[in-house]
Amino acid sequence: MIDTLFSGLIHGSAYALVAVGMSLIFGVTNVANFAQGSIVAVGIMVAWWLGSSLGWGILPTILVVIVVTGLLGLLMNTAVIAPLEGRKPIAALLATIGIGQILDNGLQLIFGPQTRPFPKLLPTYNLQLFGVRFGTSDVVMVMLTGVLMVGLWAFLKYGKTGQAIRATSQDPEAARQMGIPVKSIRNISFVIGSVLAGISGIFVGLFNANINPMNGGTIGMTAFVAATIGGLGSIPGAVVGGLVLGVVESIGISWLGDGAHDLITFGALLIILIVKPQGLLGPKTDVKSEPLTGTFLGGGRPITLPWWANAGLAVALLATPFFFSDYLAGVGTQVAIYAIAAVGLTLISGSAGQTILGMAGPLAAGAYASAILTTQLHWPFLVALPAAGIVAAIAASILTFPVWKLSGHYVAIATIGVGAVMVAIIRLWEPLTKGSLGIQGIPFPTIFGQVLYTQQMQYLLDIVILLFALVVVMRLRSSHLGRVFEAVGSDQEASQALGVRTSTYKSLAYALAAFFTGLAGALLAHQYTYIDPTIFTSSVSVLILTIIVLGGMNSPLGAVLGSIILIGGPELLRIVPDARIIVYGALLVLVILFRPQGLFARKG
Amino acid sequence: MNNPRFQHWKKPLQTAAALVIAAGTIVSVSACGLGGDSSSSSSSSVSGDTVNIGVIYPKTGQYAEYGKLFEQGFNLAIEKVNADGGVQGKKLGLKYFDTQSDAKQDAAVAPKLVADKSIIAVVGDYASPASAAASPIFQQAGLVHYGFNNSAPTFTDTGDHVWTPQIGQDKYQKANADIVAKKAKKISVVYIENDWGKQAYEYFKEEAQKNGTEIVYESSYLADSTDLSPILIPARDAKPDAVVDIGYGPDGALVLNTLRDKLGFTGQYFGGQETKEFLDLAGDNANGTIITGSFSATGTKDSKAKQFVKDFNAKYGNNPGNFEVTAYQAIIDLAYAANKIEPTRAGIQKALKTVTDFPLYQGNGGTFKFNQSNRRADNIDPILLVVKDGKFEQYED
Repeated sequence: MIDTLFSGLIHGSAYALVAVGMSLIFGVTNVANFAQGSIVAVGIMVAWWLGSSLGWGILPTILVVIVVTGLLGLLMNTAVIAPLEGRKPIAALLATIGIGQILDNGLQLIFGPQTRPFPKLLPTYNLQLFGVRFGTSDVVMVMLTGVLMVGLWAFLKYGKTGQAIRATSQDPEAARQMGIPVKSIRNISFVIGSVLAGISGIFVGLFNANINPMNGGTIGMTAFVAATIGGLGSIPGAVVGGLVLGVVESIGISWLGDGAHDLITFGALLIILIVKPQGLLGPKTDVKSEPLTGTFLGGGRPITLPWWANAGLAVALLATPFFFSDYLAGVGTQVAIYAIAAVGLTLISGSAGQTILGMAGPLAAGAYASAILTTQLHWPFLVALPAAGIVAAIAASILTFPVWKLSGHYVAIATIGVGAVMVAIIRLWEPLTKGSLGIQGIPFPTIFGQVLYTQQMQYLLDIVILLFALVVVMRLRSSHLGRVFEAVGSDQEASQALGVRTSTYKSLAYALAAFFTGLAGALLAHQYTYIDPTIFTSSVSVLILTIIVLGGMNSPLGAVLGSIILIGGPELLRIVPDARIIVYGALLVLVILFRPQGLFARKG
Repeated sequence: MNNPRFQHWKKPLQTAAALVIAAGTIVSVSACGLGGDSSSSSSSSVSGDTVNIGVIYPKTGQYAEYGKLFEQGFNLAIEKVNADGGVQGKKLGLKYFDTQSDAKQDAAVAPKLVADKSIIAVVGDYASPASAAASPIFQQAGLVHYGFNNSAPTFTDTGDHVWTPQIGQDKYQKANADIVAKKAKKISVVYIENDWGKQAYEYFKEEAQKNGTEIVYESSYLADSTDLSPILIPARDAKPDAVVDIGYGPDGALVLNTLRDKLGFTGQYFGGQETKEFLDLAGDNANGTIITGSFSATGTKDSKAKQFVKDFNAKYGNNPGNFEVTAYQAIIDLAYAANKIEPTRAGIQKALKTVTDFPLYQGNGGTFKFNQSNRRADNIDPILLVVKDGKFEQYED
């Protein structure tokens, strides 16, 4: 037991080291930097190259890693983050996702895809305690985490630049008036944050021993969870959060097995958020506005088309399956399925103003519900389809029920946890879902006895459901309920003062969104004919959110456009196979930079 | 558009745009109806002098390493097939499609392969969810889906055009459990938490129970976990004679390194994968590790497999492992099928049903045929490998 605890503490200090840099950037710039993990991966790969191919020692390696990641942080801020200043932080958040994709795939292109051993820059197993061996590298890492925490704290508290950083984070406008060069201060924060990530990379590499250029995503997500548990923006909190997460995972996994890994990690996140919403050591101030939400620039207005143009588009859309080739129809089914999921999301993330980062959960719930109902209970497809939507809506409502009392960005973060926990439950509920084995032999959709076996037939079905979703969502938006959602989204405080139960309406909007996402999941399951938990990852959640951000968060038609670009895009980019995903990431960043209100919306 | 001078143009412009889009959609695409390409352009035979095999595989993304190994095997095989005269006088080519082994990209790209009439069969993908998302589309079009890397027992259930030459896990894990039984009475077992690992462990457990091997600890682990000590500490503390890992290369090395370096376990280890990656990652710890595999570059006694190893070494500078040889064999087998009947979609399907002497590079070499009831190759034998001085050797006991 002691050895498990001890190994959890060591692993936790690796989390802590990464979380410190993440929390610093968040505290100063209010940007949840999802590229932080990828910068850690840059540190890992640069150190790997210097340490193994060139045989350098630890000190020169650290120096080069500092220079490289520092420059990268500067470039990232000046080229992408700074131009987004003044817009809602979700613009920056999504831009960092694009940057992360560019970095991950760039590293893979430069260094090759294989997993490789990290060079032993410091001894890794030369000491022993409680039957667990550890090394000088672990001791240095633990000490470094402590030193960095104290050093950063002292720098922010007493250093002149540090004080300027804090002033900027509190009120950039006031800081500017006091003569603080806000621009340089933000640059400095990003450089420090990136350098911290780079240095963490060296120690994470030493700890993990097996490294891969694509490790960044997981590292970043875990560090984000650790930083949130500790209290986002709090440097000591990041350290405490990392250690707590390490120990909780270690004990939980040793008890329940690693299959429950995600349940433990994201369950811990949810419990902390519900019991102590600002995190273990987070500042007590309530976040008044919702920083991770809203459309950009105070809300873009969706472009509205005259009724006959809408009708014309609908007819044209319904006609496409009759003209599309198999390939276009195959791509079209994917575009339509993700569009259905995204159209519903405009109700909660657009109208009601609450960013949801866990839509993979309802998508999986819908897919599994329909798969189980048709294969085990032999329900007809046309009955199973709406049932899948309802199951997804109910499951999502029950799990998010405690979340709505949270405030600020913590709701958005909690939804990451909800999405992951839903998929983890599916993985563990083996008697019903067959867990990791997946469900095979899901039948093609059947409508009144007609099996939809061609791409075009399935595409036509998807288009009909998409049109249904569009009509329902557009009607909802212009109904009384839609106005209430809109009111909740534009000013939660005012709505509450008028007697609107904002959290109830947000919950309702989310249930509606989950219903449509559940339909999308069912369509997906009946097209693939096989599903397992690995299909419904956090990147699927991010993808669905990105679709409506790109199209315009308030615009159901924009969601369709966003889906065409984001799902169809990788297909169009097949002309550049090697750089496909990098170009895709770059396009995402460019759209956010130059069309921040979304493509199918005009500035408000 | 925010310039007030243009404000009054906005509505008509938007309307016009909508009309153009609507009209464009109808006019610009070619008509083919709901029946799909295959029905409208009825089985036209290919006229060109090249036929192709479609490849769906991960060139980018988290599985790109496997994609790279596959590609090496494919390219070498195509060179050999064409040097030997191609398929009934036609040149055999490859058309690669990167899917990142992501199910939604597989589903999107599969119809593109179906529509390309020069493609006579499809090989891939790496992971089961991705392959399974593409299978129904190939099945529907009467195009052979040759899932050479898909050992999941349900893989071929989609239909009669879905085949795999992979050794079934039932057979593979029986061999694994049998060698474990010879070396150990009490074992701790860990396995990777996915469809493959779960199924493989079920077969392993069944055989281990038959053999009277006592499993004193069992746990699964996720592929992207970085610290496995929480499950390996109790695995060690159960005092087993041996630890068995059912997983892939990188995670197999992580299990082994954690056991040896961190937890001081000195007993026998079974697990890992016959890849260079595994040897690089595990280093000295790998010595003495026994692996159930399907191919040994240094130990194979089959003459054509020896030639393959020689050719592979000449082209890429290292010995091929399991992934390279299965990819290589997939192309050779399909070319053999095309030559035996004819290089068309129907010809490949007919050959897989009737030909009984496909060239076999894995196991003990020779030839193999397909079991027509489950469309799997059932006479390929797993082989045992042991790591000695950083190299795989065929294990004899």
